[in-house]
Amino acid sequence: MLYEQKPVMARMFFREAVTRAVREEMTRDPHVLILGQDVGSFGGSYREFDGLYKIFGPERIRDTPVAEAATVGIAAGVAAAGYRPLVSITYMDFLMLGFDALINYAAKLRYKTAGGLSAPMVVKTTAGAQGQGVAHSQCIEAWLMSVPGLRVVAPSTPADAYGLMKTALRSDGPVVYIDHKRLFPTPGDVPVTETSIPFGQACIRREGTDLTLVSHGYMMRVACDAAQIVAQDGISCEVIDLRSLAPLDIDTVAGSVERTGRLLTLEEGQTVCGVGTEVATRTFERTGPKPWMRIGALPAPVSSNPVLEAACIPDAPRVADAIRTLLTR
Amino acid sequence: MIYQLSVPAAVPGVEEIRILEWHGGAGSTFAAGDLIVELETHKAVVEVRAGQAGILREIKAEPGDWCAVGLRLALFSDSADEPLPEGDAAATDILVDFEVT
Amino acid sequence: MTHIDPVGALRAMLMIRTFEDTLARRKEHGFQLLSSGEEAVAVGLASALGAGDQLLTGGRSIGPALARGVAPERVMAELLGKSGGMNQGRAGRGHMSDPEVGFFGAHAVVGGNISIAAGVAMARQLDGDGGIVVILFGDGACGAGALHETMNMAAQWKLPILFVCNNNQLSVSTTRDAALAVANLSDLGATFGMWTRTIDGLDVQGVAAAARDAVRYVRDGLGPAFLECKSIRLRSHSTTARETRSRAELAELQTHCPIRRHADALQADGMLDDAQLEQMRQDAATEIAQAMAYAEASPYPAAQEVLRHVV
Repeated sequence: MLYEQKPVMARMFFREAVTRAVREEMTRDPHVLILGQDVGSFGGSYREFDGLYKIFGPERIRDTPVAEAATVGIAAGVAAAGYRPLVSITYMDFLMLGFDALINYAAKLRYKTAGGLSAPMVVKTTAGAQGQGVAHSQCIEAWLMSVPGLRVVAPSTPADAYGLMKTALRSDGPVVYIDHKRLFPTPGDVPVTETSIPFGQACIRREGTDLTLVSHGYMMRVACDAAQIVAQDGISCEVIDLRSLAPLDIDTVAGSVERTGRLLTLEEGQTVCGVGTEVATRTFERTGPKPWMRIGALPAPVSSNPVLEAACIPDAPRVADAIRTLLTR
Repeated sequence: MIYQLSVPAAVPGVEEIRILEWHGGAGSTFAAGDLIVELETHKAVVEVRAGQAGILREIKAEPGDWCAVGLRLALFSDSADEPLPEGDAAATDILVDFEVT
Repeated sequence: MTHIDPVGALRAMLMIRTFEDTLARRKEHGFQLLSSGEEAVAVGLASALGAGDQLLTGGRSIGPALARGVAPERVMAELLGKSGGMNQGRAGRGHMSDPEVGFFGAHAVVGGNISIAAGVAMARQLDGDGGIVVILFGDGACGAGALHETMNMAAQWKLPILFVCNNNQLSVSTTRDAALAVANLSDLGATFGMWTRTIDGLDVQGVAAAARDAVRYVRDGLGPAFLECKSIRLRSHSTTARETRSRAELAELQTHCPIRRHADALQADGMLDDAQLEQMRQDAATEIAQAMAYAEASPYPAAQEVLRHVV
């Protein structure tokens, strides 16, 4: 045994944490369904539904044609009519094709029916750059955060993937659940007992006193690496994982910024109207203005060219430089 | 001569794998091309095959165990009676081929 | 209902026309999508549906909602944004719903409700309750990708859904011929192996008969069907849109009015005399006047309710 395993945790791949959450919820509630491309016997593009087709069969796990618009719409309709579909959208870029049903219908259904109908559906999708080019790499979660009626979550660990997916499948309105491709190779410890993680609760991954670094998804790894780098210079970063983007846990961020006096936001998507801008604005509404900086992708498409991709996306040295700069303010 | 088998960096981005199955135990003889062990990544199975002849002497990680890339999985030797080194003493890497499926 | 009641159909169509005319006459009626000229489609179609079925529509939904049995006073209140509407005035024109009576709802994104309807049909299929779903949309939706994607999946999964195109031949100002390359719009359904028919949507009894056949096919589990009803739009696209047709054209269109046509047919068959027709008109006027009075008396929601029912 190369790892000391705590008795209450089991180590597993990211995808296995997702599979477990979905399997448990499908077992618990016969109204939970899966729709998407290659989700059936193939088990999902990232094997995140491995083995489920054998258990639950073709009625509840439906392979769809390449038709994101209709697939999201059908999911919204079946949800409005009493089911709890999970729609798998292989790349977040392709979710744009499903925005009409998701945003114009599902997110507004409760409101326009005065609570009479709702669309409890989960859109599970995968964001982020990994050499796949301009239309397979985007992080557009900030677009979705501004839609009333929509919840948006983005785990950075298998444990959070498990716990947030459980909550997503029990939510009574539409949820966009976002994985990041670069997180998949890394396993993590997940509680053995059945648990869930409520939306709207950020998590302090590293305590610190000089600066608050806020991020989510794969950029959490970059954030932690950067915090480690600057720790060698005696700089103490508090690193917060948002986990849930809508609703946002501003209490945790504002509390941290009150202690550290500085805020650095980090995301893989664009900074214009981005997650960090929103976090900063809402934090400073509480704390009053503090020195802050935001880091995100450069204002360019994300190429599959390895040099250009790396140039576009934040990395730990760039974040470490920003931390040092911010500490001079 | 004593050789070691370490977790290969077979799949880009993978830092840690899980042991799926050993195809032999202590004392098993491998010829070049024989399947030694299958390792599991987040989406693939890595078949590790012998690139040279050898005798498997000691397995350091069991199926289900998680191992970081570079960690020692097993020791091999040319003949069955060579004494094994103490602890983590350095050993030559055994030649292997691997196939990702 | 297995056979349409011809007199009842006239009464229903008159009620819809009177409703829309009354709404349009109100000084502040807002932005409304009226369906005058399309009443035979709504009433004929609704006559073929049972209590366990659900109807979904595009934005032009007043006639279909009334034909399906939503109470006129609740529709009127909803359209005017009053709390007494079936959705407490929040949905308004284009988005109202009343699933209790089988009207799952309108959705005013052209083509946007088609995939939603297929999802509701999927629920009917999973429930195995014998209920079917009808999605009513205009010719304007026939160029939209959502329709084609949904028809493919509905056919593949044999969903219990009937696609009904109310082809009023105009999409705001663009004619159907200028917008759509296909010969008959029902040919779109034929591509996916559906039961299809193109009919005269101004003949309420013809619509009822075709809808009955289509509904039976879908209810028997044979897969989706596609019914194209050719109708006319007697008013402009919306109450705030410019009319693009000449007075002469509109006058000519009036001669095809499905209500007048059906009334004439009933009178020719001796099923209706002038006095009865006049009585029917008065009854409709009285009923809609009461609906309007209800809506006028109903309060607007309090501004504080703006944040209710968001998530």
